Amino acid sequence: MQFSTLFQQIINGLSLGSVYALIAVGYSLVYSILSFSNFAHGGFLVIGGYICYGLLSGFEVVTSTQQHIFTMPAFNIWIASLSALVGAGVVAILTERFAYKPIRERTSMTLYLLIASMGVSIVIENIFVIAVGGRFRALPPDSFQDIFAVLEKVLGYLGMNRVPGSSSQLFDLGGGVTVSMFDILSLIVAVFFLGGLQLFLTRTRWGLSIRAAAYDLRTAGLMGVNVAFLIGIVFFVAGMLAAIGGIFLSFRYTLYPQLGGITTKAFVAAVIGGLGSLPGAVVGSLILGLAEMLTAGFISSQMRDLVVFSMLVVMLLVKPAGFFGKQINDKI
Amino acid sequence: MSGYQEGIVVLLCINCVAAMGVSLLTGFTGIFTLGHAAYMALGAYTTAIMTVRYHVHWLPAIVAGGVVAVLVAWLIGIPTLRLTGDYYAIASIGLGEAIRLILENWQSFTRGARGFPGIGSYASRGVAVTFFTVLGILMFNLLSSRLGRELKASRDDRVAASLMGFNTPASRMKALLISAFYCGIAGALLGGYMNFIQPSMFDMMKSTELTAVVVFGGLGSMSGTLLGSAIVTLVMEVFRNISQYRMLIYGGLLVVIMVLRPEGLLGNREIWSFLSFLPGFGPKRRG
Repeated sequence: MQFSTLFQQIINGLSLGSVYALIAVGYSLVYSILSFSNFAHGGFLVIGGYICYGLLSGFEVVTSTQQHIFTMPAFNIWIASLSALVGAGVVAILTERFAYKPIRERTSMTLYLLIASMGVSIVIENIFVIAVGGRFRALPPDSFQDIFAVLEKVLGYLGMNRVPGSSSQLFDLGGGVTVSMFDILSLIVAVFFLGGLQLFLTRTRWGLSIRAAAYDLRTAGLMGVNVAFLIGIVFFVAGMLAAIGGIFLSFRYTLYPQLGGITTKAFVAAVIGGLGSLPGAVVGSLILGLAEMLTAGFISSQMRDLVVFSMLVVMLLVKPAGFFGKQINDKI
Repeated sequence: MSGYQEGIVVLLCINCVAAMGVSLLTGFTGIFTLGHAAYMALGAYTTAIMTVRYHVHWLPAIVAGGVVAVLVAWLIGIPTLRLTGDYYAIASIGLGEAIRLILENWQSFTRGARGFPGIGSYASRGVAVTFFTVLGILMFNLLSSRLGRELKASRDDRVAASLMGFNTPASRMKALLISAFYCGIAGALLGGYMNFIQPSMFDMMKSTELTAVVVFGGLGSMSGTLLGSAIVTLVMEVFRNISQYRMLIYGGLLVVIMVLRPEGLLGNREIWSFLSFLPGFGPKRRG
């Protein structure tokens, strides 16, 4: 076992894990309030990815008779990603409003919500298959140029220097281990948003209500919390986080309508950490990212998924509540 | 009957057999599964490998497919049936995907993701209808037997049922094994109808479809399950011409059904309870 390979795979694992964490936290947030696994979460991710892609590369809308309607100019990454976040958040709210709310009001069985959420995820996936086609798309390679330029200066002050001659902006950590600008960026963004979420939940009135609702939705409603509004906020935040994950994943791999399938792994991470627990979701994601990259580095990359699902099953057998699932009632 | 119509009949029988298995587990025992396509995969691969590589006759091979599914379900069930509610559903997703990934990566035995071609077309209309009829009669008899009542009791209130002296863990296990058998047989028949199987045919989508059909028909209604399964299969066939929009319609349908009629088509009543005004269909002792 080579030490530098190990170190390299740990860095890759942390970078992947931080993207999983963004998705898993949104998942966990919804679970903590409504106690059901929102399988449509992957759909929000895909919506975020496509909005970002569309605004970054610019597109033309034509009717079926090839009549030009309007042209969307190409925007920079800030506008594109901000729109992606808001767009995915709004779709998440609409999904809750039109698909989940009527079911919640009629029955307390989460299975119905589960199946409805699978329906929503199939619908979103296939809307994109029909509208833009199933082919793989790459975000423009220089999308993050502006941000990278700033980052490079900051890292330069910290004494990290670019590997000379590398086009993909690799930084040398010594001993043959490199870290790409993109890995650093995804780590920073994950820390920023997860930290922000933590502050939001612990320091604001809305956060307090969300924690109360996670503890007991009915009682929180009786105590004067506007539950419908609250659930809207939770879905908006979850959709936003999914969109960030979607942007990063479509940059790391490529963008296609089935990209949302990756949420299954974020979901596994949430279960390993403890469903409904936000720190659990982060820890579970990092464990999963590391496990996946170490498997890919030392065994074979085909075994990655098998390791992920074996971890899920073993975890459920040994400790069904996950690492951070303390009490059934104590969810956030 | 044209070949196309015959194919639909075969497909209908296969889907109904699989749906009956899932219905026993989800509708009558209250265990939600999202990984039963894996048992179909096990049945399909066992039968395919036995008939193609070892030239076993298809009939024992199909039964063997069911038996292998039962054995695996037993191994899986011992630890996982302790889990309740959502957690069993989550574990079943993991196990279902794990089985599919093993089949996909075990290149030397299953030919991996390329799929397994050259399976004989033993699932003719007669065979499929016979399997469906026999398994259907067995299932309806099972539901009105002592075990069926035990399952329903433990679904409605597990604590009360065990206080009444039922061994609820054992009956849950029996339900899982029987449902795995039905799905294994359905998978084996599917292999014989398509002449080709591939691990991706048995992914989470397929598992969801099985559970969704049961919920659509009505949880706790076996005739509702058959009706739901028939409707979904036929609707998907009708929409085959507009295959682009097929999945979109299917997904939308799932949502609309859950919103408008979450209890499913028949609720928890069997279809003949709607015929109670006819002589001979009057109220009977409820079990």
